Amino acid sequence: MRALLEFIAKYYHWFMLVALEVVSIVMLVSFNRYQGSVWVTTANAALARINAWEHQATQFIHLGQANADLALRNIILEQNIAFLSQQLDSLTHDSTITERLQAERTAGFDMVHAKIVTSSVMRRDNLLTINVGSADGVKPEMGVICGTGVVGIIHTTSEHFSIVMPLLNSHSSISCRLRKTGYFGFLRWDGKSPFFAILDDIPRHARFRLGDIVETSGFTSVFPRGIFVGKVAAIENSDDGLSYKLRIHLGIDFTRMQDVSVIRQAFQPEVHELESQADSTFAQTH
Amino acid sequence: MLQTILQRSLWVVVLVAAQMIVFNHIHLWGYATPLPFVYLLLLFPMGTQRWTAMLWGFVCGLMVDIVSLTPGVASGAMTLAAFIQPPLLQLMAPKDALEDMQASPKAMGLWVYVRYAAMVTAVFTLAYFLLAVFNFFHIRDVAIACVTSWLLTLVLCLLFESVRSK
Repeated sequence: MRALLEFIAKYYHWFMLVALEVVSIVMLVSFNRYQGSVWVTTANAALARINAWEHQATQFIHLGQANADLALRNIILEQNIAFLSQQLDSLTHDSTITERLQAERTAGFDMVHAKIVTSSVMRRDNLLTINVGSADGVKPEMGVICGTGVVGIIHTTSEHFSIVMPLLNSHSSISCRLRKTGYFGFLRWDGKSPFFAILDDIPRHARFRLGDIVETSGFTSVFPRGIFVGKVAAIENSDDGLSYKLRIHLGIDFTRMQDVSVIRQAFQPEVHELESQADSTFAQTH
Repeated sequence: MLQTILQRSLWVVVLVAAQMIVFNHIHLWGYATPLPFVYLLLLFPMGTQRWTAMLWGFVCGLMVDIVSLTPGVASGAMTLAAFIQPPLLQLMAPKDALEDMQASPKAMGLWVYVRYAAMVTAVFTLAYFLLAVFNFFHIRDVAIACVTSWLLTLVLCLLFESVRSK
Protein backbone atom coordinates (compact mmCIF):
# COMPACT_ATOMS: atom_id res chain seq x y z
CA MET A 1 0.00 0.00 0.00
CA ARG A 2 2.82 2.35 0.94
CA ALA A 3 4.67 1.45 -2.24
CA LEU A 4 1.51 2.22 -4.19
CA LEU A 5 1.16 5.61 -2.53
CA GLU A 6 4.81 6.39 -3.24
CA PHE A 7 4.31 5.37 -6.85
CA ILE A 8 1.30 7.66 -7.16
CA ALA A 9 3.14 10.53 -5.44
CA LYS A 10 6.11 10.13 -7.77
CA TYR A 11 4.10 10.04 -10.98
CA TYR A 12 1.10 12.11 -9.93
CA HIS A 13 1.53 14.51 -12.87
CA TRP A 14 1.05 11.60 -15.29
CA PHE A 15 -2.19 10.64 -13.56
CA MET A 16 -3.28 14.26 -13.67
CA LEU A 17 -2.47 14.48 -17.39
CA VAL A 18 -4.53 11.35 -18.10
CA ALA A 19 -7.43 12.60 -15.95
CA LEU A 20 -7.55 16.02 -17.61
CA GLU A 21 -7.22 14.53 -21.10
CA VAL A 22 -10.02 12.08 -20.35
CA VAL A 23 -12.22 14.96 -19.19
CA SER A 24 -11.37 16.85 -22.38
CA ILE A 25 -12.11 13.91 -24.64
CA VAL A 26 -15.37 13.17 -22.83
CA MET A 27 -16.40 16.78 -23.40
CA LEU A 28 -15.20 16.53 -26.99
CA VAL A 29 -17.34 13.51 -27.88
CA SER A 30 -20.27 14.53 -25.70
CA PHE A 31 -20.75 18.12 -26.76
CA ASN A 32 -19.48 18.12 -30.37
CA ARG A 33 -21.82 16.45 -32.79
CA TYR A 34 -19.15 15.61 -35.39
CA GLN A 35 -16.58 14.20 -32.96
CA GLY A 36 -19.39 12.36 -31.16
CA SER A 37 -20.55 10.63 -34.34
CA VAL A 38 -16.98 9.73 -35.29
CA TRP A 39 -16.44 8.32 -31.81
CA VAL A 40 -19.63 6.25 -31.89
CA THR A 41 -18.84 4.94 -35.37
CA THR A 42 -15.26 4.09 -34.46
CA ALA A 43 -16.29 2.55 -31.16
CA ASN A 44 -18.90 0.41 -32.91
CA ALA A 45 -16.39 -0.71 -35.52
CA ALA A 46 -13.83 -1.52 -32.82
CA LEU A 47 -16.45 -3.36 -30.78
CA ALA A 48 -17.48 -5.36 -33.84
CA ARG A 49 -13.84 -6.24 -34.50
CA ILE A 50 -13.33 -7.29 -30.88
CA ASN A 51 -16.52 -9.38 -31.04
CA ALA A 52 -15.24 -11.02 -34.23
CA TRP A 53 -11.92 -11.85 -32.53
CA GLU A 54 -13.76 -13.23 -29.52
CA HIS A 55 -15.97 -15.31 -31.82
CA GLN A 56 -12.92 -16.68 -33.64
CA ALA A 57 -11.20 -17.45 -30.34
CA THR A 58 -14.30 -19.22 -29.02
CA GLN A 59 -14.59 -21.22 -32.23
CA PHE A 60 -10.93 -22.20 -31.97
CA ILE A 61 -11.40 -23.35 -28.38
CA HIS A 62 -14.39 -25.48 -29.39
CA LEU A 63 -12.59 -27.05 -32.36
CA GLY A 64 -11.80 -30.17 -30.31
CA GLN A 65 -15.47 -30.91 -29.70
CA ALA A 66 -16.28 -30.07 -33.33
CA ASN A 67 -13.61 -32.54 -34.46
CA ALA A 68 -15.04 -35.27 -32.24
CA ASP A 69 -18.55 -34.60 -33.61
CA LEU A 70 -17.24 -34.68 -37.17
CA ALA A 71 -15.40 -37.95 -36.56
CA LEU A 72 -18.57 -39.51 -35.19
CA ARG A 73 -20.56 -38.17 -38.11
CA ASN A 74 -17.92 -39.54 -40.47
CA ILE A 75 -18.24 -43.01 -38.99
CA ILE A 76 -22.04 -42.92 -39.37
CA LEU A 77 -21.75 -41.76 -42.98
CA GLU A 78 -19.20 -44.44 -43.79
CA GLN A 79 -21.55 -47.08 -42.39
CA ASN A 80 -24.38 -45.64 -44.50
CA ILE A 81 -22.18 -45.71 -47.61
CA ALA A 82 -21.23 -49.35 -46.97
CA PHE A 83 -24.88 -50.32 -46.46
CA LEU A 84 -26.07 -48.45 -49.56
CA SER A 85 -23.22 -49.87 -51.67
CA GLN A 86 -24.27 -53.36 -50.62
CA GLN A 87 -27.90 -52.59 -51.50
CA LEU A 88 -26.84 -51.19 -54.85
CA ASP A 89 -24.74 -54.26 -55.63
CA SER A 90 -27.58 -56.61 -54.82
CA LEU A 91 -29.95 -54.63 -57.05
CA THR A 92 -27.67 -54.12 -60.03
CA HIS A 93 -25.49 -57.24 -60.26
CA ASP A 94 -25.99 -59.54 -63.23
CA SER A 95 -28.07 -62.53 -62.12
CA THR A 96 -26.78 -66.08 -62.60
CA ILE A 97 -28.60 -68.86 -64.46
CA THR A 98 -29.54 -70.44 -61.14
CA GLU A 99 -31.04 -67.18 -59.92
CA ARG A 100 -33.01 -66.71 -63.14
CA LEU A 101 -34.33 -70.29 -63.06
CA GLN A 102 -35.25 -69.92 -59.41
CA ALA A 103 -37.07 -66.69 -60.14
CA GLU A 104 -39.07 -68.50 -62.82
CA ARG A 105 -39.90 -71.39 -60.46
CA THR A 106 -41.12 -69.08 -57.71
CA ALA A 107 -42.87 -66.60 -59.99
CA GLY A 108 -46.35 -67.57 -58.84
CA PHE A 109 -45.56 -67.60 -55.14
CA ASP A 110 -45.83 -64.89 -52.52
CA MET A 111 -42.31 -64.17 -51.30
CA VAL A 112 -41.35 -62.39 -48.07
CA HIS A 113 -37.83 -60.96 -48.19
CA ALA A 114 -35.80 -61.03 -44.99
CA LYS A 115 -32.35 -60.36 -43.56
CA ILE A 116 -30.45 -62.88 -41.52
CA VAL A 117 -29.96 -61.52 -38.00
CA THR A 118 -27.90 -64.35 -36.51
CA SER A 119 -26.57 -67.58 -37.95
CA SER A 120 -24.25 -70.46 -37.16
CA VAL A 121 -22.58 -73.13 -39.29
CA MET A 122 -20.14 -74.77 -36.87
CA ARG A 123 -22.62 -76.67 -34.70
CA ARG A 124 -24.40 -79.93 -35.47
CA ASP A 125 -27.84 -78.35 -35.15
CA ASN A 126 -27.42 -74.92 -36.65
CA LEU A 127 -30.21 -72.32 -36.64
CA LEU A 128 -30.75 -68.99 -38.40
CA THR A 129 -32.73 -66.01 -37.14
CA ILE A 130 -34.39 -63.76 -39.72
CA ASN A 131 -36.06 -60.40 -39.23
CA VAL A 132 -39.59 -61.30 -40.34
CA GLY A 133 -42.26 -62.95 -38.20
CA SER A 134 -45.90 -63.67 -37.80
CA ALA A 135 -46.71 -59.99 -38.29
CA ASP A 136 -45.36 -60.42 -41.84
CA GLY A 137 -47.46 -63.53 -42.47
CA VAL A 138 -44.63 -65.98 -41.80
CA LYS A 139 -45.62 -69.29 -40.17
CA PRO A 140 -43.80 -72.49 -39.21
CA GLU A 141 -43.22 -75.05 -42.00
CA MET A 142 -42.77 -72.41 -44.66
CA GLY A 143 -39.81 -72.82 -46.99
CA VAL A 144 -36.85 -70.43 -47.05
CA ILE A 145 -34.68 -69.94 -50.11
CA CYS A 146 -32.09 -67.49 -51.37
CA GLY A 147 -30.79 -66.54 -54.79
CA THR A 148 -28.64 -69.67 -55.15
CA GLY A 149 -30.75 -72.40 -53.61
CA VAL A 150 -32.72 -73.85 -50.73
CA VAL A 151 -31.90 -72.53 -47.24
CA GLY A 152 -34.25 -74.41 -44.90
CA ILE A 153 -37.65 -74.41 -43.24
CA ILE A 154 -39.23 -72.00 -40.74
CA HIS A 155 -39.15 -73.66 -37.32
CA THR A 156 -40.76 -71.15 -34.98
CA THR A 157 -41.92 -67.57 -35.28
CA SER A 158 -42.44 -64.60 -33.03
CA GLU A 159 -44.17 -61.39 -34.01
CA HIS A 160 -41.15 -59.86 -35.77
CA PHE A 161 -38.56 -62.66 -35.98
CA SER A 162 -38.41 -66.26 -37.06
CA ILE A 163 -36.07 -69.20 -36.43
CA VAL A 164 -35.10 -71.13 -39.56
CA MET A 165 -33.93 -74.73 -39.47
CA PRO A 166 -31.38 -74.71 -42.32
CA LEU A 167 -30.05 -77.64 -44.31
CA LEU A 168 -27.09 -77.58 -41.92
CA ASN A 169 -29.15 -79.15 -39.11
CA SER A 170 -29.19 -82.85 -38.25
CA HIS A 171 -33.01 -82.76 -37.98
CA SER A 172 -33.45 -81.27 -41.42
CA SER A 173 -34.95 -83.53 -44.11
CA ILE A 174 -36.03 -82.12 -47.47
CA SER A 175 -37.48 -84.06 -50.37
CA CYS A 176 -35.23 -83.63 -53.42
CA ARG A 177 -34.76 -85.23 -56.83
CA LEU A 178 -32.24 -85.49 -59.60
CA ARG A 179 -33.23 -82.99 -62.28
CA LYS A 180 -32.31 -85.18 -65.29
CA THR A 181 -33.85 -88.49 -64.28
CA GLY A 182 -36.42 -87.53 -61.64
CA TYR A 183 -35.24 -90.05 -59.01
CA PHE A 184 -35.89 -88.61 -55.59
CA GLY A 185 -34.66 -89.01 -52.03
CA PHE A 186 -34.28 -87.06 -48.77
CA LEU A 187 -31.57 -84.52 -48.18
CA ARG A 188 -29.93 -84.66 -44.77
CA TRP A 189 -26.81 -83.19 -43.21
CA ASP A 190 -24.13 -85.37 -41.63
CA GLY A 191 -22.79 -82.55 -39.47
CA LYS A 192 -19.37 -82.43 -41.15
CA SER A 193 -18.85 -79.79 -43.82
CA PRO A 194 -21.15 -76.76 -44.26
CA PHE A 195 -20.68 -77.11 -48.04
CA PHE A 196 -21.94 -80.69 -48.43
CA ALA A 197 -25.13 -82.66 -47.57
CA ILE A 198 -26.26 -86.26 -48.17
CA LEU A 199 -29.09 -87.33 -50.50
CA ASP A 200 -30.35 -90.73 -49.27
CA ASP A 201 -32.61 -93.42 -50.75
CA ILE A 202 -31.62 -93.12 -54.42
CA PRO A 203 -32.51 -96.56 -55.89
CA ARG A 204 -29.77 -98.84 -57.17
CA HIS A 205 -31.15 -98.85 -60.71
CA ALA A 206 -31.09 -95.07 -61.00
CA ARG A 207 -28.65 -93.63 -63.62
CA PHE A 208 -26.78 -90.42 -62.84
CA ARG A 209 -23.36 -88.85 -63.06
CA LEU A 210 -21.19 -86.63 -60.98
CA GLY A 211 -22.23 -83.03 -61.48
CA ASP A 212 -25.92 -83.80 -61.98
CA ILE A 213 -28.19 -81.18 -60.56
CA VAL A 214 -30.28 -81.84 -57.46
CA GLU A 215 -33.46 -79.80 -56.96
CA THR A 216 -36.57 -79.80 -54.77
CA SER A 217 -39.06 -82.49 -55.73
CA GLY A 218 -42.24 -80.52 -55.08
CA PHE A 219 -43.78 -83.53 -53.31
CA THR A 220 -44.40 -81.41 -50.20
CA SER A 221 -46.18 -78.12 -49.87
CA VAL A 222 -43.05 -76.47 -48.43
CA PHE A 223 -41.05 -75.90 -51.62
CA PRO A 224 -42.25 -75.74 -55.20
CA ARG A 225 -40.65 -78.16 -57.64
CA GLY A 226 -37.37 -77.29 -59.26
CA ILE A 227 -35.63 -75.08 -56.68
CA PHE A 228 -31.88 -75.64 -57.04
CA VAL A 229 -30.20 -77.44 -54.12
CA GLY A 230 -26.77 -78.47 -55.36
CA LYS A 231 -24.77 -80.84 -57.54
CA VAL A 232 -23.70 -84.46 -57.11
CA ALA A 233 -20.14 -84.43 -55.82
CA ALA A 234 -19.64 -88.10 -54.79
CA ILE A 235 -21.48 -91.42 -54.93
CA GLU A 236 -21.50 -93.88 -52.04
CA ASN A 237 -23.45 -96.97 -51.09
CA SER A 238 -25.99 -96.72 -48.31
CA ASP A 239 -25.28 -98.48 -45.03
CA ASP A 240 -27.62 -101.37 -45.88
CA GLY A 241 -26.36 -101.57 -49.48
CA LEU A 242 -29.89 -101.30 -50.97
CA SER A 243 -29.61 -97.75 -52.29
CA TYR A 244 -27.13 -95.04 -53.16
CA LYS A 245 -26.07 -92.24 -50.87
CA LEU A 246 -25.06 -89.14 -52.87
CA ARG A 247 -22.84 -86.42 -51.45
CA ILE A 248 -24.26 -83.14 -52.69
CA HIS A 249 -22.23 -79.97 -53.08
CA LEU A 250 -24.71 -77.35 -51.82
CA GLY A 251 -25.46 -74.32 -53.97
CA ILE A 252 -25.50 -72.03 -50.97
CA ASP A 253 -22.50 -70.80 -49.06
CA PHE A 254 -24.07 -70.56 -45.58
CA THR A 255 -21.03 -68.77 -44.22
CA ARG A 256 -21.66 -65.68 -46.37
CA MET A 257 -25.41 -65.66 -46.81
CA GLN A 258 -27.26 -62.46 -45.80
CA ASP A 259 -30.55 -62.15 -47.67
CA VAL A 260 -33.26 -64.81 -47.89
CA SER A 261 -36.89 -65.14 -48.99
CA VAL A 262 -39.72 -66.99 -47.27
CA ILE A 263 -42.15 -68.76 -49.59
CA ARG A 264 -45.74 -68.11 -48.56
CA GLN A 265 -47.96 -70.66 -50.24
CA ALA A 266 -51.63 -69.72 -50.18
CA PHE A 267 -52.96 -73.28 -49.89
CA GLN A 268 -50.34 -74.67 -47.52
CA PRO A 269 -52.67 -74.68 -44.42
CA GLU A 270 -55.38 -76.41 -46.45
CA VAL A 271 -52.91 -79.06 -47.64
CA HIS A 272 -51.66 -79.58 -44.09
CA GLU A 273 -55.20 -79.99 -42.80
CA LEU A 274 -56.00 -82.50 -45.52
CA GLU A 275 -52.82 -84.46 -44.80
CA SER A 276 -53.57 -84.57 -41.05
CA GLN A 277 -57.16 -85.76 -41.78
CA ALA A 278 -55.81 -88.59 -43.97
CA ASP A 279 -53.29 -89.56 -41.30
CA SER A 280 -55.99 -89.74 -38.62
CA THR A 281 -58.26 -91.78 -40.93
CA PHE A 282 -55.51 -94.33 -41.52
CA ALA A 283 -54.76 -94.43 -37.84
CA GLN A 284 -58.41 -95.29 -37.04
CA THR A 285 -58.51 -97.95 -39.78
CA HIS A 286 -55.45 -99.71 -38.41
CA MET B 1 1.38 33.98 -4.72
CA LEU B 2 -1.91 35.82 -4.88
CA GLN B 3 -0.36 38.38 -7.16
CA THR B 4 0.81 35.64 -9.48
CA ILE B 5 -2.66 34.14 -9.57
CA LEU B 6 -4.23 37.51 -10.27
CA GLN B 7 -1.71 38.27 -12.99
CA ARG B 8 -2.25 34.92 -14.68
CA SER B 9 -6.02 35.27 -14.34
CA LEU B 10 -5.78 38.64 -16.03
CA TRP B 11 -3.72 37.13 -18.82
CA VAL B 12 -6.29 34.34 -19.21
CA VAL B 13 -9.13 36.84 -19.50
CA VAL B 14 -7.25 38.99 -21.98
CA LEU B 15 -6.13 36.06 -24.13
CA VAL B 16 -9.57 34.40 -24.12
CA ALA B 17 -11.25 37.69 -24.97
CA ALA B 18 -8.76 38.34 -27.77
CA GLN B 19 -9.34 34.88 -29.10
CA MET B 20 -13.11 35.28 -28.95
CA ILE B 21 -13.29 38.76 -30.38
CA VAL B 22 -10.48 38.80 -32.89
CA PHE B 23 -8.57 35.60 -33.63
CA ASN B 24 -11.52 33.21 -33.98
CA HIS B 25 -12.55 35.21 -37.03
CA ILE B 26 -9.22 35.00 -38.82
CA HIS B 27 -8.73 32.19 -41.37
CA LEU B 28 -5.88 33.16 -43.65
CA TRP B 29 -6.15 31.43 -47.04
CA GLY B 30 -8.83 29.26 -45.54
CA TYR B 31 -6.26 27.42 -43.46
CA ALA B 32 -4.33 29.53 -40.94
CA THR B 33 -6.19 30.21 -37.69
CA PRO B 34 -4.19 31.98 -34.97
CA LEU B 35 -4.37 30.42 -31.52
CA PRO B 36 -2.22 32.78 -29.44
CA PHE B 37 -3.83 31.94 -26.07
CA VAL B 38 -1.10 29.31 -25.79
CA TYR B 39 1.10 32.27 -24.90
CA LEU B 40 -0.15 31.77 -21.33
CA LEU B 41 2.10 28.69 -21.07
CA LEU B 42 5.15 30.66 -22.24
CA LEU B 43 4.66 33.01 -19.31
CA PHE B 44 5.27 30.29 -16.71
CA PRO B 45 8.69 30.73 -15.08
CA MET B 46 11.20 27.97 -14.55
CA GLY B 47 10.39 25.81 -11.54
CA THR B 48 6.67 25.86 -12.15
CA GLN B 49 5.11 22.61 -11.01
CA ARG B 50 3.70 20.47 -13.79
CA TRP B 51 0.32 20.11 -12.12
CA THR B 52 0.08 23.91 -11.79
CA ALA B 53 0.87 24.38 -15.47
CA MET B 54 -1.60 21.69 -16.50
CA LEU B 55 -4.35 23.14 -14.32
CA TRP B 56 -3.87 26.63 -15.72
CA GLY B 57 -3.66 25.31 -19.23
CA PHE B 58 -6.80 23.23 -18.81
CA VAL B 59 -8.81 26.14 -17.35
CA CYS B 60 -7.65 28.56 -20.03
CA GLY B 61 -8.41 26.04 -22.76
CA LEU B 62 -11.81 25.31 -21.25
CA MET B 63 -12.71 29.00 -21.33
CA VAL B 64 -11.64 29.24 -24.96
CA ASP B 65 -13.74 26.16 -25.68
CA ILE B 66 -16.75 27.73 -24.03
CA VAL B 67 -16.54 30.94 -26.00
CA SER B 68 -15.62 29.14 -29.26
CA LEU B 69 -18.21 26.34 -28.87
CA THR B 70 -15.52 23.66 -29.23
CA PRO B 71 -15.73 21.79 -25.89
CA GLY B 72 -12.70 19.63 -25.18
CA VAL B 73 -10.52 20.72 -28.11
CA ALA B 74 -8.55 23.65 -26.64
CA SER B 75 -8.60 22.25 -23.10
CA GLY B 76 -7.11 18.91 -24.22
CA ALA B 77 -4.45 20.58 -26.37
CA MET B 78 -3.51 23.12 -23.67
CA THR B 79 -3.22 20.38 -21.04
CA LEU B 80 -0.83 18.40 -23.22
CA ALA B 81 1.29 21.46 -24.05
CA ALA B 82 1.35 22.45 -20.37
CA PHE B 83 2.56 18.96 -19.50
CA ILE B 84 5.70 19.30 -21.64
CA GLN B 85 6.37 23.02 -20.93
CA PRO B 86 8.17 22.79 -17.54
CA PRO B 87 10.73 20.12 -18.51
CA LEU B 88 11.24 21.75 -21.89
CA LEU B 89 12.04 25.11 -20.28
CA GLN B 90 14.31 23.34 -17.80
CA LEU B 91 16.12 21.75 -20.71
CA MET B 92 16.56 24.93 -22.79
CA ALA B 93 17.30 27.42 -20.05
CA PRO B 94 20.90 28.65 -19.66
CA LYS B 95 22.94 26.66 -17.17
CA ASP B 96 23.45 29.69 -14.95
CA ALA B 97 19.76 30.67 -15.00
CA LEU B 98 17.97 31.45 -11.75
CA GLU B 99 15.55 28.88 -10.38
CA ASP B 100 12.52 31.12 -11.05
CA MET B 101 13.74 32.53 -14.36
CA GLN B 102 11.01 34.01 -16.54
CA ALA B 103 11.30 32.69 -20.07
CA SER B 104 12.14 35.56 -22.41
CA PRO B 105 14.51 36.40 -25.30
CA LYS B 106 16.46 38.55 -22.92
CA ALA B 107 16.97 35.79 -20.36
CA MET B 108 17.48 32.89 -22.73
CA GLY B 109 18.72 34.47 -25.91
CA LEU B 110 16.48 35.23 -28.91
CA TRP B 111 16.95 32.03 -30.91
CA VAL B 112 16.74 29.76 -27.91
CA TYR B 113 13.51 31.44 -26.88
CA VAL B 114 12.16 31.18 -30.40
CA ARG B 115 12.97 27.47 -30.46
CA TYR B 116 11.38 27.00 -27.05
CA ALA B 117 8.24 28.88 -28.08
CA ALA B 118 8.16 27.03 -31.40
CA MET B 119 8.21 23.67 -29.64
CA VAL B 120 5.48 24.50 -27.14
CA THR B 121 3.24 26.03 -29.83
CA ALA B 122 3.93 23.13 -32.23
CA VAL B 123 2.82 20.53 -29.69
CA PHE B 124 -0.22 22.59 -28.82
CA THR B 125 -1.23 23.26 -32.46
CA LEU B 126 -0.76 19.66 -33.50
CA ALA B 127 -2.88 18.40 -30.58
CA TYR B 128 -5.50 21.09 -31.23
CA PHE B 129 -5.98 20.16 -34.89
CA LEU B 130 -5.95 16.43 -34.25
CA LEU B 131 -8.72 16.84 -31.68
CA ALA B 132 -10.65 19.27 -33.91
CA VAL B 133 -10.46 17.11 -37.04
CA PHE B 134 -10.70 13.78 -35.15
CA ASN B 135 -9.83 11.63 -38.18
CA PHE B 136 -6.94 10.86 -40.47
CA PHE B 137 -8.64 11.12 -43.84
CA HIS B 138 -7.58 14.60 -45.11
CA ILE B 139 -4.02 14.52 -43.91
CA ARG B 140 -2.75 17.03 -46.46
CA ASP B 141 -5.31 19.73 -45.65
CA VAL B 142 -4.91 19.13 -41.95
CA ALA B 143 -1.13 19.37 -42.24
CA ILE B 144 -1.33 22.67 -44.15
CA ALA B 145 -3.79 24.11 -41.62
CA CYS B 146 -1.66 22.88 -38.76
CA VAL B 147 1.62 24.28 -40.06
CA THR B 148 0.22 27.65 -41.13
CA SER B 149 -1.70 28.03 -37.87
CA TRP B 150 1.40 27.10 -35.94
CA LEU B 151 3.51 29.71 -37.74
CA LEU B 152 0.87 32.38 -37.28
CA THR B 153 0.46 31.49 -33.61
CA LEU B 154 4.24 31.53 -33.08
CA VAL B 155 4.56 34.94 -34.69
CA LEU B 156 1.77 36.32 -32.51
CA CYS B 157 3.30 34.82 -29.36
CA LEU B 158 6.67 36.39 -30.20
CA LEU B 159 4.89 39.67 -30.84
CA PHE B 160 3.12 39.44 -27.47
CA GLU B 161 6.45 38.67 -25.81
CA SER B 162 8.14 41.66 -27.42
CA VAL B 163 5.31 43.91 -26.27
CA ARG B 164 5.38 42.46 -22.76
CA SER B 165 9.15 42.76 -22.49
CA LYS B 166 8.95 46.50 -23.22
